[in-house]
Formats: sequence, C-alpha cells, structure tokens
Amino acid sequence: MKSFIKLFILPLVAFSLFYYTIISDITPKLGLDLQGGISVILTAPDGTEAELLEQAVEIMRTRIEAFGDVQEPEISISGDTAVLVQLPGVTDQNRAIEALGTTGLLTFRPVLESSLNTGYSPAFEYINNPDDPDSPIKKVEQGADELMGLSIEDDPKSISYLLGINSGFPVIYELGPAELTGNDISDAIAVYPDNEWIVSLELKPESENKFTNLTKKLASNQGEQRKLAIVLDGEVVSAPGIAFDVDPNVGITGGNAAISMGNSDAGESANNLAVILRYGALPVAFERSSIQKVSASLGENTLQLGLQAGIVGLIIVSIFLLLYYRLLGIIAVFGLSSFGLLFYSIISLLSKYQGYTLTLAGIAGAIVSIGLAADSYIVTFEKFKDELKVGRSFPFAANKAVNDAWNTILIADFVSISAAVLLYILAIGPIRGFALALGLATLFDLLFTRIYTRNAVPLLSNITKNTRYCFPIKIKDLQDV
Amino acid sequence: MFKKLFIGNTKINFYNIGSLLFKIFLIELIVFILILSLAFTNVLDLNLSVDFTGGTTYQLETNYASNDVSEIMNSNILEISRYQTFENSNTLIFRATEATAEKEAQFLEYLSNKFNIPDSDIEFQRVGPTFGSEITQKGLRALFIFLSFIVLLITFRYEFRFSLIALVALIHDLLLCLSIYLLLNFEITPSTVIALLTILGYSLYDTVILFDKLNDSTKLKKGSVLNEETLNTTFNEVLMRSINTSITSVIPIASILFIGNYLGLSGSLTDFALPLFIGILSGTYSSIFITVPFLSRIIKK
Repeated sequence: MKSFIKLFILPLVAFSLFYYTIISDITPKLGLDLQGGISVILTAPDGTEAELLEQAVEIMRTRIEAFGDVQEPEISISGDTAVLVQLPGVTDQNRAIEALGTTGLLTFRPVLESSLNTGYSPAFEYINNPDDPDSPIKKVEQGADELMGLSIEDDPKSISYLLGINSGFPVIYELGPAELTGNDISDAIAVYPDNEWIVSLELKPESENKFTNLTKKLASNQGEQRKLAIVLDGEVVSAPGIAFDVDPNVGITGGNAAISMGNSDAGESANNLAVILRYGALPVAFERSSIQKVSASLGENTLQLGLQAGIVGLIIVSIFLLLYYRLLGIIAVFGLSSFGLLFYSIISLLSKYQGYTLTLAGIAGAIVSIGLAADSYIVTFEKFKDELKVGRSFPFAANKAVNDAWNTILIADFVSISAAVLLYILAIGPIRGFALALGLATLFDLLFTRIYTRNAVPLLSNITKNTRYCFPIKIKDLQDV
Repeated sequence: MFKKLFIGNTKINFYNIGSLLFKIFLIELIVFILILSLAFTNVLDLNLSVDFTGGTTYQLETNYASNDVSEIMNSNILEISRYQTFENSNTLIFRATEATAEKEAQFLEYLSNKFNIPDSDIEFQRVGPTFGSEITQKGLRALFIFLSFIVLLITFRYEFRFSLIALVALIHDLLLCLSIYLLLNFEITPSTVIALLTILGYSLYDTVILFDKLNDSTKLKKGSVLNEETLNTTFNEVLMRSINTSITSVIPIASILFIGNYLGLSGSLTDFALPLFIGILSGTYSSIFITVPFLSRIIKK
C-alpha cells in the first residue's frame, strides 16, 4: 500500500496541477520570439552602480507605461550592466526606442495658474448658467481632456495643463511655454547645510542670462505665478517658487540657484530631483546594444513548430520505449507523460506568479529534457537487465537496479543541474530561460527517478517473472552466455 | 549480432581496438586543426550573425524575383554584407554592417515600398558592435568556471585522469560541431552558442554515466583495479543503453529539424536543433570511442 502511494504521488500531483492550470486558465507567458514584439538590450558603462541602474529602470518603466498601448512591458536588469526591455505586441519600433533611448525631455516652464488656487483644473472655466444656477456650464480649453482637464498632448512650445504632485496631493498646473531645458543645466546636487535639504543648481555659462531674465520676470509676480515648474516628460516634478528676497529688477544672477526642499525628511526627494536635473531622466547614459523586432506571424509559426515537434517527438519516443521495453515501457511512458504535464504546469505557474516568460530557448531546453528524462528510465531498465543476466531473481534484480541507477542518475543529473545553475547565474538574456527550463526539468527527473521509478520497477517485478514482457529477449538467451 | 547487442553479450574487445580508435581520434584531430587553420587564414569564413559582429538584419517574407535581390544589393543605402534565400520558402534575409539609425530606417522603408508590405511585417534586428564580444566573454567565463568545477567533481568521485578524458571527449564534440559549421558555412547565432553549451552538458552527462558504470564494475572485481576484462565487459554492456539513449534524445530534435524543414521554416528553433543533432550523435560516439583508447592506455601503464 505504501509503495502504491509513493508510486502515484508524483503523477497525481502532476495531473492535479495540470487540471488546476486548465480550469484557472493559466498558460505560460510567451516571450517576444513566440508572439512578436520588440526587444531592446541597453548597456550601461562598466562599473555603473547597481542603485543607479535600478533608478534608470524605474524611470523607463514609467515612461513605457505612459507610452500607452504596450501590453505587459518587461524591463529587467540582466547581469551587471545590461537592461533588457521587452515590449510584446509593439511593432512601432521608432516610438518604442525613442521612449527608451533618449534621456527624456526636461524643461523649465513658468506657472500661470494651478488647481491649488481654483480647486479644479485651470483648463476648465465655469460660466453661470442663467437657466439653472446650480449647474454652471463647463468650458474646456482646447487641447485638454474633458474629464481631468489635462493636456492630451504636451507641447513645450505652447500653454499646457500638466499634472504634478505637491506634498502628496495631485495638482494641475497651467504652464507657459518652456523657457529653459535640461541642456541649460550643468550640474545639480542635493545638500543639507542648515537643517534643510537644498538642491543646488548650476547653470551653463551661456544660459546664465536666460535664467536671470526668467527669474526677474517671475519675481515681479505674486502667488502661483511666482513659481517655476520643472517638467520631465510631461509631468511636473517640482514647482518651486522664487524666494521673496529676489529683487524683480535683478533676478537670480551668477548662474547658481538653490531649491529649498524642506527639513530632514526631504532627503530622498531632494536626491531624486537632483538626479533628474542632472541627467534629464536616465541617471545613466545607455548604449543600445541590441534591438530585435519579431513579427507576430513568425513568432506564432515558431511556437507551432516547437509544439508540433515536441508532441511528435514525445509520441515517437513513447512508441520506441513501448516496443523495446514493453511493460517497463508503459512505466516509462506514463512517467514521461506525468513529467511533461508537471513541467508544463510549473512553467505556467511560474509565468503567473514569478513573471517567467517562455521563450524559444526555453522550448529548446524542454525538448532536450525529454531525452534526458527518457534516459533515466533506460539507465534503470538496462541495469535491471544486467542483473537478470547474472541470474538474480526478478524482485532482487529490480531492487538492486533502481538503487544503482539512482546513484548513476544522481551524479549525471548533478552535472546537468550545475551546468544549468552556472548558465543561469553567469549568462544574460535568452540563455537564462534555457537554463531555467533545463534545470527545472533535470530536477523533476531526479524526483521521478527517486520516487516514481524506484517504486514502479520493483512493483512490476512482483507481477511478472517473464523477461519477454520486459525486454525483446528470452531469459534463456539472456543468461546463456 | 543484433540479438547480442540487445542482450549486451557482444564480444567486442575494446581493449585491443584501443590503439586503432586512438589513431582514428588523431586523424579526426588533424582534420579539425586543418579546418580551423583554414578558418584562421580566412580561406573558410566563419559565418557570425549580427549578434557578434554588430550591424542590422532584415527578414521578410514575400514573392520576389531573382533580380530583386541584386537590385537590393546595389541599392546603396546600406552596405549589405550578406543575403540569404531559401529553397522552400519565400523568406529573404539581408544583413548589413553598422550604419546610422536614419539609414537603417531608410532601408526598412525601401524594402517595405519595394515589396509593398507594411514595415511592421519586416523582422528587424540591430546590434551594437560591443554586444557580441560581451556575450562571448561572459560565455567563456561561464565555460571556464563550469569546466573547472567538472574536473573537481570527476576527480573527487572517480579519479583525476578520468576528468581529463571527459574533457578530451568534450572538446572533440565541440570541435566536430564547429568544423561542420565552418565547412558548410552555417550561420552562428546566439542560439547556436546555447546549443553548444547544451552539447557540453550532454557530452559530460553521457561520459559520467559511463564512468559510473565502469566504476561499479571495477568495484565488483578483486582488488578494485581497472583492467582489460572490466573495460571490455563494461563497454559491451553499456552499448545498448548508449544506443537507446541517443535514439530517444535525437528523436525530438530530429522532429524539429524535419517538421521545420517541411513547413519551410528557418528560424531560431532550427538554429538550436542542428547543432544539438550533431552534438548528441557526436556525444554518444565520443563517450565510447574517445574514452576507450585513453582508458586502455591507462590500463597498459
């Protein structure tokens, strides 16, 4: 009874997991090479700090999301300096690459009005309705959407309505045309001199005058119009006001400015602002190492080919095993099918919960692993045959064979697993997907050998004592040396 | 004969044919070195994909006439280093050396206008010049660490000389694969490299299984010494397993190749399958016919 439980535990787990993935409609997430899309690999200079890389990835993620029609973009750090960006379903490569490659548009724009004053978007104007005083007519400025009152498309050359976050609350600003850009800034750094965080800004010498003139103009205004908005990719990052001690006739001179950020809690936001001012958007200058575009049809063809080849391969291998090993072959085929279902289910679950994507390399790894899994059965069966040959009884031979085979398979699979682990750690991009598939399959192979085959073969040896049911040979021929 | 093979009762004297197998191995080695030196002197061209050289590829499927290709080759927008056509499909592949992004976009537009297909249907790949060397470096580093680890593992479990034999078998498989690629001028892509890494794993796996069997048979004998008799019985017994395993491993891969060829598909999956196909056959061969001559030399000493 106990051995029956051991025998069926793995197939049972495999079948129930497979059933679970089917009823919950969980399927493997397909990589770009199987469904089409654009894949870009960006490389940072050697020695780039991991923290900066993570910052850059965050910024890229928000940008890609702003990009709209991308389904499940994937941006990940791969290796020490590479960033892998996967945009499934995107075929307009120019736009995608633009969103990633350029260092973002940083502009400085005077604030004309903000929702801090009005309570609603400055793009709205409410006119008294003579017929019904309770519901005034809403007038929306051109280029702004009706719901939020934000500019649909941000044009730095004309008035725009853009969103910003002010002490945790969303604020909609009405902004004038851009007066300065990120190119006018030479450096920015966050400092903490007197219990207050300050972002110290340095302008390029040729831009000093522009900045002085701009601050003169702003210093003569009051309230919201005294503010200068720092805009990155259509979002107001910060809108500091010009200090009250700035003389409207002089402005801020000398090419230096300080933005007060507040007390000791503001360290992080001060650093972020400094990074944005310094680098535009990405804190790292990336090199575009690789851009690859795959059309949807090619991806689909490849997937079909992989599936068909996998199924045909599995069927032929099964027929071969059944013809050669007969009843033992049934053990192998049943085990291999459970193995396949388990593998598919785990890949699907990994896709859903760990974000694993099944790529071509992964399929190749899976197909290779069919061969490796089949080999474990063959090794066991051949050892069984060798034991029978020297005249051992069926049950004894079976027990010895599964134990010996386990030792052999353990060390051989250990080689495969260490290859997979090393590849996974050291390699980048598609090789990782391959390594994971191979490593996972080898691990399952070990499990099946240890729990399933180890019990199945001795069980069979109790049922039949006829070699003809296990091998294409008579016992007489086998032992007749 | 076939029945004997089944039973594992073949009576091949592996010990005696050791020197013959060694000669075959030497001849193979000379051929590999010859092919490699031809490659180094540029007589044979190592066909590296853009992933290694840097540049762009364009792949499209269209009905084209033969003069279309030469017309595109002379279009003077990009410097096209290579093109590829296929017998049983309408796929066209162009590969160009590095150029500016505008030129690359211009060429894409040119192709899309010429064949009247939307440019989103054209596969496009661009790779910077340093990327390939980076992959290669990382791969080589991984390879080095892995091999050192394997040498330690085999030394620990069996003996040091066995690990050297495993390495020789491994290098044989890789050289064979590389030589075939050089001779037939197949394109080497990152997929090929992954496949080569798999071959490496497979070759070692096969050799280790053999060593394990050899180790078991040696332990059974008095004095636990490897001798002529254990060598012969082990390898005769293991023949059927080797044949069966290579059959089951090769079938799924062969089905990729044949189904792919039948459907007229050429792509990354067939890029994987071909070197794997060569590698598994070579791995099975080397695990027996390369290890035997070295083992018989060990016994002789």
